Amino acid sequence: MAFIKTENLSFAYDDDLSHAALKNINIEINEGEFVAILGHNGSGKSTLAKHLNGILLPTEGRVTVDGMDTADDEALIKIRRTAGMVFQNPDNQIVASIVEEDVAFAPENLGIDPLEIRKRVDEALETVGMTKYKNHSAHMLSGGQKQRVAIAGLLAMKPKCIILDEPTAMLDPKGRKEVMKTIKKLNSEENITIVLITHYMDEAAKAKRVIVMNKGEVMLDDTPHYVFQNAGLLKSIGLDVPQSTELMFELRKQDIKVPLAVISDDECVTVLKEILEEDRVTD
Amino acid sequence: MLKDITIGQFFPGDSLLHRLDPRMKIVLTVLYIVLLFVAKSIVSFAAVTVFSLILVFLSKISPKLILKSLKPLLFIIVFTTVLNIFYVKGTPIFEPIDILGWQFTITYEGLLTAVVMVLRITLLITTTSLLTYTTSPIALTDGIERLLSPLNAVKVPVHEFSMMMTIALRFIPTLIEETEKIMAAQKSRGSTFSEGGLIKRAKALIPILVPLFVSAFRRAEELATAMECRCYAGGKGRTRLKQYKLCARDYISLLTVIAVFAATIAINILLQGIVFAI
Repeated sequence: MAFIKTENLSFAYDDDLSHAALKNINIEINEGEFVAILGHNGSGKSTLAKHLNGILLPTEGRVTVDGMDTADDEALIKIRRTAGMVFQNPDNQIVASIVEEDVAFAPENLGIDPLEIRKRVDEALETVGMTKYKNHSAHMLSGGQKQRVAIAGLLAMKPKCIILDEPTAMLDPKGRKEVMKTIKKLNSEENITIVLITHYMDEAAKAKRVIVMNKGEVMLDDTPHYVFQNAGLLKSIGLDVPQSTELMFELRKQDIKVPLAVISDDECVTVLKEILEEDRVTD
Repeated sequence: MLKDITIGQFFPGDSLLHRLDPRMKIVLTVLYIVLLFVAKSIVSFAAVTVFSLILVFLSKISPKLILKSLKPLLFIIVFTTVLNIFYVKGTPIFEPIDILGWQFTITYEGLLTAVVMVLRITLLITTTSLLTYTTSPIALTDGIERLLSPLNAVKVPVHEFSMMMTIALRFIPTLIEETEKIMAAQKSRGSTFSEGGLIKRAKALIPILVPLFVSAFRRAEELATAMECRCYAGGKGRTRLKQYKLCARDYISLLTVIAVFAATIAINILLQGIVFAI
């Protein structure tokens, strides 16, 4: 059974579905998946994310998380505990002044025994590599470090899934790398389901599955290799493709026969090498 | 400039006073304030003053800083002194002087009351600032929450109050940083904040305050959502990471303050009528 499932999900901020932000969305996300949701501003990607742990409730249709309906008030705490969420602005999600006290916030809310909280806080900080900073003042950290603290704050709840709503949008390249590394580690080592909302193509290319949103609808939903093959379609809705794909796209325009399904630097190098060697042979 | 503000004026350190349990520190400070009002004779005041000096020494905080904390109250101190010297009735030191029809005289009692009042105010401020100097704001809020927690039974929102304090303390540096950014943005567009009369200066603040408020509200909303995502549902059933446990030094401090308290009362009774008392 799907871990997160939306059934005919439609949503309008003023309950008037004639200008809905989400239109009839049906997606299923399985446990342990790494899904990126791509989309232009106003495509409904953040609105969709907010449905996945019950911050917003569907105007029509329903959303279930681990079998629990997000519209069910009784299950809300359990849903939020299962699916945590990281937001764009690192400053606005840290509650306490000291790093470890902030990480302890969620387990404290859940009424967990202090000794167990201590253990979870230490483990969570270790996982995101912030143990060194546990007694630091949160506002002195860099953006990337703050986001890692925010992730640790969720890990302390022991969630099965983490939804990240453009977590790197306000970070510098270094911070972005730190956060992406942490996210990948959580998925591969801790088997946590990741839903990453982003508008950076290179980040989306690291996922195992990409969902492309446009005007409140799901436009594409497949592996990154397949999704980025549709470079023309993506460009038509104002999205870019990863730089390697872009290069292939341009080469094909020049009638050079290259595959489009190239999304990483390594793949790109291999393909280019092949072409160049072929060239030499024909010369 | 704005970054220099340290709300609550906490000076990190590792002295005995720093290490005391915040709950105990708050209780002891309250006890000490009561003590200042119980002390009635010059002898007991001398004892209490010596005790306060020992506390200052133990805190390892420079006496200069402590004197600084008295500065804002200088006016009140001088005012009460003058009032007491001239208005307390008793045995005059010299014959009344007549100035423009007003009779001025200074009495022994007046002089003594003035000295005692000055001591009382000075010691009061010194020791209460020692509390904030040696306790981090978070520990202070925590201590207050835990001490007041019995009031939950009569529906006083103790947890909500302390959560508000925690968040306020957390966001002070963030908002200060933001204010500086906005000021820089407005300055770069040619606005000046340090020129012109009072009204002009006050008006110049509007373009800072409006964006600051707008952003503060946006932050508040995002923070509220983030807190909900982390299962925040009020104080009910909440546990805490930091567990405070009273240890030997806390009990010893309590006993010491109680001993000083008892000594003061004893002096009050024993020296009644011998040394001048107020």
